[in-house]
Amino acid sequence: MKYLLPLLLLFVLTACQDDDDPVSATEEVELSLDFRADYAGQPLAIQSGTYTYPTGARLKVLLFQYYISDLELLPVGGGEAVRLTDIDLIRWMSASEPATTTRSYRVPAGEYRGLRFGLGVKPELNARNPSEFAADYVLNEAEFWGPTTRYVFAKIEANADLENDNTFDTGLSYHLGTDALYTTVTFDQTFRVAEGSSPAITVAADVLRALSASGQTFDISNPDQRNVHGGNQEVGRDIWERLAGQFRLEIRE
Amino acid sequence: MRWWVYSIVLLCACGQERTESIPPPFAAILYPADNPSTEAGISLGERLFFDGGLSQDGSISCASCHRPELAFSDGLRVSRGISGLEGLRNTPGLTNIGYLHHSLFWDGRAENLEDQALHPVGNVHEMGGSWPEVIERLREQRNYVAAFRKAFGAVPIDSTLVGRALAQYQRTLISSDSKYDRVQRGVEEYTAQESLGHAIFFDLADDPGGPFAGFPKGECAHCHTPPHFTNQRFENNGLDEMPDLTAVPDPGRGAVNRVVYDNGRFRNPGLRNVALTAPYMHDGRFGSLEEVIDHYNSGGKYAETRSPNVHPLGLDASHKAALVAFLHTLTDTSFVK
Repeated sequence: MKYLLPLLLLFVLTACQDDDDPVSATEEVELSLDFRADYAGQPLAIQSGTYTYPTGARLKVLLFQYYISDLELLPVGGGEAVRLTDIDLIRWMSASEPATTTRSYRVPAGEYRGLRFGLGVKPELNARNPSEFAADYVLNEAEFWGPTTRYVFAKIEANADLENDNTFDTGLSYHLGTDALYTTVTFDQTFRVAEGSSPAITVAADVLRALSASGQTFDISNPDQRNVHGGNQEVGRDIWERLAGQFRLEIRE
Repeated sequence: MRWWVYSIVLLCACGQERTESIPPPFAAILYPADNPSTEAGISLGERLFFDGGLSQDGSISCASCHRPELAFSDGLRVSRGISGLEGLRNTPGLTNIGYLHHSLFWDGRAENLEDQALHPVGNVHEMGGSWPEVIERLREQRNYVAAFRKAFGAVPIDSTLVGRALAQYQRTLISSDSKYDRVQRGVEEYTAQESLGHAIFFDLADDPGGPFAGFPKGECAHCHTPPHFTNQRFENNGLDEMPDLTAVPDPGRGAVNRVVYDNGRFRNPGLRNVALTAPYMHDGRFGSLEEVIDHYNSGGKYAETRSPNVHPLGLDASHKAALVAFLHTLTDTSFVK
């Protein structure tokens, strides 16, 4: 009995101390992150949209997807990065899907100086076989080429109307990815994440900018450049480099 | 005393028969939390699978169309139900069906095996009956009542339980000992022809410094992706000319999700045991693997949604024969015994 009063006092003091903690440093809040696919700056209408290619051809985009690894928020002040996910597959393949797909994460509230991710499957995961993962894991989405070529990091598939005869009869299929192509994409843009007042954050990727940018346009009239799969990655290296370089981070408070 | 106890334990351990085999090198089957497989459930499912009592006149069981000796296909252009009525689609094989966790049927109208099992009973082209009649018949059979009770406990027999039992049985239909698998395991080698077919199937010609540089590519594995040789998605593979996507012979996936751009798209079937599952395509239009390869070699017919991976391949007779030889390596004779 003689210990009861001190114990009660300790309990009350401990409880009060929590209220005074700088909880903003550790409080977790929900952060929604949008991934939007565009074509020429407009939201991509997969399958249904008809798009102009710089060479004068027209395109119907049937598939656009890319893996991201180690998606992280970068705290202001240089603290340890906040890992949102080790790996994810961002994919558009049906006309029934909107151009924006959303992921939600629990993250510490606070101010961040940016965001980064690896475009592709990071080497430590790229070295592992799909059979090592659950059947519904993102690395079991039938994107594994084989024992040597490993996972497909990104895909763009489209049908092109090269002759302007309203027939989209030329298939374009660009399947990209090797360890050597794995690229870290970093955005240096500050934003504050707080309960109920987080900004709308969108990672935008533009299919056209992956195929054509800075005066360089991938030549889809060349039959040798209509299929990039597995072992001929050099043919599509500049598509990959443009893809990795064109991501934009949009932050709307 | 301690030595004596250890000896007993050791003897007991040695006396147990080792029944588990080496697991297949596939990502494990996703067993639904509400339908875990049990010995009793699998046994019941197997019995139901071969029981014509699920059909209106007792003449058609699941196994009538899914014949084990044909890798659970039926050898017919389209399935044939009660009174010889022809169905609309080709009967797909069931090899490794339990590993496929995306939607099922050629058009993806069933979300999973439990759901899939509910469809044929009431389909006039298949079993032609009704679930109330089937359930009444099952409830009248004491041995079925006992088997359901053993598998699922003291709950009334209903269509959901029938579907669950059938799903449990189908998750046991596992094939992992084809020649392809043995080559993967390093215990067997391809012939030169099979090796070329493997290279064509997997586009090994893409590697400019590789041994198959200069050979044509089959573009097969984009959709028929190992280990089950399907990516479980839907494609238009150029079977029919489709200048207008609103006017297609069989809308397939589009009839299910009402997306016009999915008209003419069908689920990419798994190719394990494909040499046993002729005829081919959703409507069984091709009678042989050679006809299938001729189709893909042609590049298929026009549709704006035709897969960009379907284009003229430039295969000559030797390439086509090699591809057929490779497809035969996907046959697992132990699966169809």
